[in-house]
Amino acid sequence: MQMPMGRYTLDAKGPTYPTDTPVDFVIIGSGIAGGSVARELTREGFSVVLLEQGRKVAPADMEHDELGAFMWPRWTNDPAVSPQTYRKTSADKPEQRNFANYARAVGGTTLHFTGNFWRFRPIDFNEKTMRGGVPGAALEDWPITYEELEPYYTAVEYAVGVSGEVGNDPREPFRSKPFPLPPLAVHGPGVILEIGARKLGWASKAAPMAILSREYKGRQPCHNCGFCLAFPCEWGAKSGANWTMVPEALASGKCELRSDSYVRKIQTDDAGRVTGVVYFNAQKQEVVQQAKAVVLCANGAETPRLLLNSKSNRFPDGLANSSGMVGKHLMTNGNVVSTAEFEHEVAAHKGPVVTRITQEHYELPKELNLIGGGGFDVRMSVPGLIWTLGMPETGPMWGSGFKQRMRPWFNNSVEALGHTTQLPQATNTVELDPELKDAWGVPAMRITFKEHEHDLRLFQFFKERGRELLTAAGATAVHSNDIPDTPGSAVHLLGTARMGNDPQTSVVDKYHRAHDVKNLFIVDGSSFVTSGRGQPTMTIQALAFRAADHMAEFARKGEI
Amino acid sequence: MIDREQAATPVSRREFVGVAALSAAWLAAGAGCKRMGDASHEQTALVHFSPAQAAQVEAIVARIIPSDDTPGAREAGVIHFIDQSLTGFAKDQAPLFAEGLATLGEAVAKKHGSAATFASLTAEQQDAMLRDIEKTPFFGAVRFATIAGFLALPKYGGNKDYIGWKFIGQEVAMEHSAPFGWYDRPENQMALLGRVL
Repeated sequence: MQMPMGRYTLDAKGPTYPTDTPVDFVIIGSGIAGGSVARELTREGFSVVLLEQGRKVAPADMEHDELGAFMWPRWTNDPAVSPQTYRKTSADKPEQRNFANYARAVGGTTLHFTGNFWRFRPIDFNEKTMRGGVPGAALEDWPITYEELEPYYTAVEYAVGVSGEVGNDPREPFRSKPFPLPPLAVHGPGVILEIGARKLGWASKAAPMAILSREYKGRQPCHNCGFCLAFPCEWGAKSGANWTMVPEALASGKCELRSDSYVRKIQTDDAGRVTGVVYFNAQKQEVVQQAKAVVLCANGAETPRLLLNSKSNRFPDGLANSSGMVGKHLMTNGNVVSTAEFEHEVAAHKGPVVTRITQEHYELPKELNLIGGGGFDVRMSVPGLIWTLGMPETGPMWGSGFKQRMRPWFNNSVEALGHTTQLPQATNTVELDPELKDAWGVPAMRITFKEHEHDLRLFQFFKERGRELLTAAGATAVHSNDIPDTPGSAVHLLGTARMGNDPQTSVVDKYHRAHDVKNLFIVDGSSFVTSGRGQPTMTIQALAFRAADHMAEFARKGEI
Repeated sequence: MIDREQAATPVSRREFVGVAALSAAWLAAGAGCKRMGDASHEQTALVHFSPAQAAQVEAIVARIIPSDDTPGAREAGVIHFIDQSLTGFAKDQAPLFAEGLATLGEAVAKKHGSAATFASLTAEQQDAMLRDIEKTPFFGAVRFATIAGFLALPKYGGNKDYIGWKFIGQEVAMEHSAPFGWYDRPENQMALLGRVL
């Protein structure tokens, strides 16, 4: 059954750079941020070594294996070798468990993401000014605006081939070009969203997706296999960095990709400049790669960990951390789920996971006293095995009665997933665990995370709207759980090296350059000042395009 | 944890009954699913359980997803999924299974006499025994493993010939063509939305 169809281009023969001669840029992390920076810098002619701690996942390894994808790490961070500790508050005892989940593979988490490619809106960059602060939250405006990022959103859409449509919602922001590709064909869950939204008078539209609806740049369109979330796309239709940015960087002839290369330290000299990185190769041997500049794109959990692990006499509190902000303000977005059963067959497991969305609640009326907001899609996140395990306890859970429920539960049910804002708090952190080390002997991360009271009220609001949407769409039963005060685990890892104009309160400037280190750039979810409304990848990629543009300019002017 | 020998030695009769029950199950599976390669089931060797333990586990999973007019956990080879997983990725659950089986065996003997095994009981008697333990970690683990063994890829030992996928309606295909379900049909969209999306 497993027939890899996509063209595999990660093995393109690139240059081999010597380790003892500085390359123009070493990029740490080959996800959507690092892959994009590599693509953009090599297009400008710079030499790049792209280091990835994980492996290359070839199409032959992209099985529709739910057990492998969900029950243990096939290409995600493995607690057996990359352990973490977690505690809810600093008063709690940390326990060993993975809170931060991310792919550890070429392409990073876009290897197996859903492909939701929402742009931010202007309010996401200046919410504090527009709506005021919230006690206990470290809400700040971004040092950039939507208008400054808009050309890069458009560039990204055309670089990867985003499918979508300009909706009829007048609250949508300006865009300089239409989508390059028409929307993905709507299927059952999207139709259900549309029925509900129509009844309620909510705006809805085709979801902007990083999944091809038509052939684009030699890549095939979606084949509707249904295995998106948590699965790599063997067809190459889902536009993760493994199918787009990294192969294009390699095709430039200027990028050397080194997978299975795990950076443990960014090196600096007495002048406080970065000189290169120390990493473990696949044989766990240490290698030092010299670089004129380093771009750190390791994700919102690994990036602060590496900065904190890169302390030196000159940077005793960790690299780029004179503000003390490295690792602070971890945000994960809200994910508010309600499931529902329907009279008719939905067959939601076929086709891309998401085809339509509503952003009716992107901004909320002032009288609700809630800042932030979000949107919904309707979907079956995961196929048969996990979906069946998630059957609600509203009937027999084993035996003949259970067996009778299995087929309709699988075919006639969907979930409304609310994607929301989550506020930055200084007490939600990624730090180094004082005791625990990983399989390479490097201090592990310790995560401290608890939802803000405001977040819980916002999630409750979205839970009610989700139930409303499904009910309006004709659900025969709607199920949802109580909102917990901790998400338990997270895949969106944001805010831990925040961007800002003030070196006292932020880690990088508006060009993603570390305030403290002239030739160190940090670009990924860690740069976020606020969480947006639940879909960060498109903004991470647009930021990466923009950052690379400025890095190239600085390099050409000799300003790095 | 009870090791294999301890479990098997004092209960040779039980073991015999167990093997007989297991063989009967294989035969039943083969008879019901002619085109599904009936021979391979018999060739699947146990790697963790003793035959006696396997017979009990298979009897339990067969009550969680029973075989009726459609195949159940038995035909899907869930026993082999569990058996293989306990020497592999679910190794840390082996003591839980061993202790749970022993405890269940004792409860069965207490209620139905020392000659009885779980597998030798009637379906109604089995269900009654399971209702008594349905809140235990052991039952939770077996239930989880039964669903996983019914629906995980066949390479893990269960879901033989995709029996589980076929049962729930998950098509074995690398691509699908619309319309997928009721809501995809243009006439239904016209009726509900006044247009086709």
